[in-house]
Amino acid sequence: MEVSRSKVMRGIPASPGIAVGKAHVLEMEELHVREKQVEPQDVEKEIERFKAALVTARKEIEELRETIGEELGQEQAKIFDAHLMILDDIVAVEKTTKAIREEKKNAEFVYRKTLSEIAEELDLAKDEHFRDSAADVRDVKRRVIRHLLQEPRRGLGKIEGQVVLLAHDLTPSEAVLMSKDTILGFATDSGGRTSHAAIMARSRGIPAVVGLKYATARIRAGDTIVVDGNRGIVDINPTEQALQEYMRRQQQFLDFEGMLVDIRELAAVTTDGRRIELSANIEMPEEVELALAKGAGGVGLYRTEFFYIRSARLPGEDEQYEAYREVAEKCYPYPVIIRTVDVGGDKFASYLGAARENNPFLGLRGIRFSLERQEIFKIQLRAIFRAAASGNVKLMFPMVTSLDELRQANLICSEVKEELKQRGLPFGENCEIGIMAETPATVMIADSLAREADFFSIGTNDLIQYTLAVDRGNEKIAYLYDPLHPAVLRSIKTLVDAGHRHDIWVGVCGEMCGDPVGAVILLGLGLDEFSVSPYLLPEIKTIVRSVSYADTRQLAEKAMCLSTAAEIRSFVEEKIVGKLPTFLSP
Amino acid sequence: MLEKTVTITSDPGVHLRAAAIFVREASRFKSDVWIMKDGIEVNGKSILGLVSLVAERGSSIRIRVEGEDEVQALEILTDLVHNKFYEEE
Repeated sequence: MEVSRSKVMRGIPASPGIAVGKAHVLEMEELHVREKQVEPQDVEKEIERFKAALVTARKEIEELRETIGEELGQEQAKIFDAHLMILDDIVAVEKTTKAIREEKKNAEFVYRKTLSEIAEELDLAKDEHFRDSAADVRDVKRRVIRHLLQEPRRGLGKIEGQVVLLAHDLTPSEAVLMSKDTILGFATDSGGRTSHAAIMARSRGIPAVVGLKYATARIRAGDTIVVDGNRGIVDINPTEQALQEYMRRQQQFLDFEGMLVDIRELAAVTTDGRRIELSANIEMPEEVELALAKGAGGVGLYRTEFFYIRSARLPGEDEQYEAYREVAEKCYPYPVIIRTVDVGGDKFASYLGAARENNPFLGLRGIRFSLERQEIFKIQLRAIFRAAASGNVKLMFPMVTSLDELRQANLICSEVKEELKQRGLPFGENCEIGIMAETPATVMIADSLAREADFFSIGTNDLIQYTLAVDRGNEKIAYLYDPLHPAVLRSIKTLVDAGHRHDIWVGVCGEMCGDPVGAVILLGLGLDEFSVSPYLLPEIKTIVRSVSYADTRQLAEKAMCLSTAAEIRSFVEEKIVGKLPTFLSP
Repeated sequence: MLEKTVTITSDPGVHLRAAAIFVREASRFKSDVWIMKDGIEVNGKSILGLVSLVAERGSSIRIRVEGEDEVQALEILTDLVHNKFYEEE
């Protein structure tokens, strides 16, 4: 009997949409290089053969560089300049020709040895940028050897019909070959939202999930695979029922794409006139256009870790200022809420000198890191306040768990503003300063914090994790991660009520408002702002526009009296069935 | 022949991208350029040689130049390291 290998894996949503299809697993490429003796009279011919392979490889890289440059921009194409330099490397070329001549060995054997030694050296480096360099060296090595062996370009393998592509990683040269006609979606073990393959997938409209860690180990060719690029989920051999559900969501997504244009210009207002600020979470300045195109009324969470994690060095004030200003200007008059850097936890930048921690989620992260490394914090604050002169910019601190932290951070803000005044630079004097509410401690002292913060933005992902003591990355207990747990709902209610008592607005940024049931409850709890991934905006706007605030208030009130997440879910689902457009009904 | 020891202050150090910038500069000079770290010396015009030194932030490298434009070469190349390979743009 066939052993069921049904499994749901969570990764990073890299490109929206839902794909359902048969798995096509891309194995690691193996090139069989054999050591051969070259006859003395054939030595010069062997060297010619080597040089010819370099020329062909060069042409290929140049083409690749051009394609990627056109599609994704010059910055993304820069890595291929380094590839060309590896190809031209005088030492590697000389060493190879010398070994062919003196040891009379074949070119592929010698060249592989030379480059492998260097790659292996780089594998041992502590810094991930050096280890990444090893992958680049190997990419060039494979390319040259492939030409020497006259192996055809591997590409994506032999693809029959339409498939879901699975790979440990996709090199830029492979990613560029993905066509929407044959690749329904793809999933990789490694990579992030900003890897070449992810950027390429978004640009071509192919749903993708990356960073799954062990997907290729669990998936076999021919398995039925669902790639949910909206939620970052990969489902292996789903049940018939689950499959139907995915198909329904897939249709939903396509319907939404279609109706996007109609809804984009409309406000997020309930049928009885309550207006919700609907904004987008973004990571890179380029994402602003997407957010606005999807109907965002601003940016509710601008994550700034990108600067610190992707770049090989500490980002300077001007560099950050330019990026923040660009976002502020593009969004104006809508607001942009910039969150100061939240490294630590699962986001670790080695060059910041942060030590490995046993319990990083309870460690030096968020505002704790910024207060510890004030020199880094001040650079970022200067950049944010300067950008605030060019738009509607607000600032918030992540992981605030005590009033002391907020006061200390506010004090540093005053110092920074004073400094900018002295330097005679324009800056936003009245930039609102709020906090992320994401720990039980924040909830318990919400009253005191609301007196001194200009707003609360509830980070539901972390709030749920800390409140329920559940690591959602841990598969064994992932089922305990439930946004509708009464403890979570009560925490949110406490935060909203405390905020409103002190006349500050309370928003929510996190995946919880992406679920129809979650969104309806949050609406009823009185949240003023929802900030979500740009792709979820049309869905949420539709929900907001389909219900009355009075109804959701009543609904939330009753839901708060129930004692389990399951009861709450079925109660709310029952009430909203028929109220939402059919494709959104739970 | 001239030589100078410099400390790498850029992050994460002389990885592939930084090495590419260094080699491009070094190759503009007629002089030979050699880089030494931990007793290993490599050709400063070789991206693979340079990157294989794994010169991470905080490490020291010795730049040695020899040739007709060695004075200028040493100045430009040490500047490049001091200025973190001008990767600021």
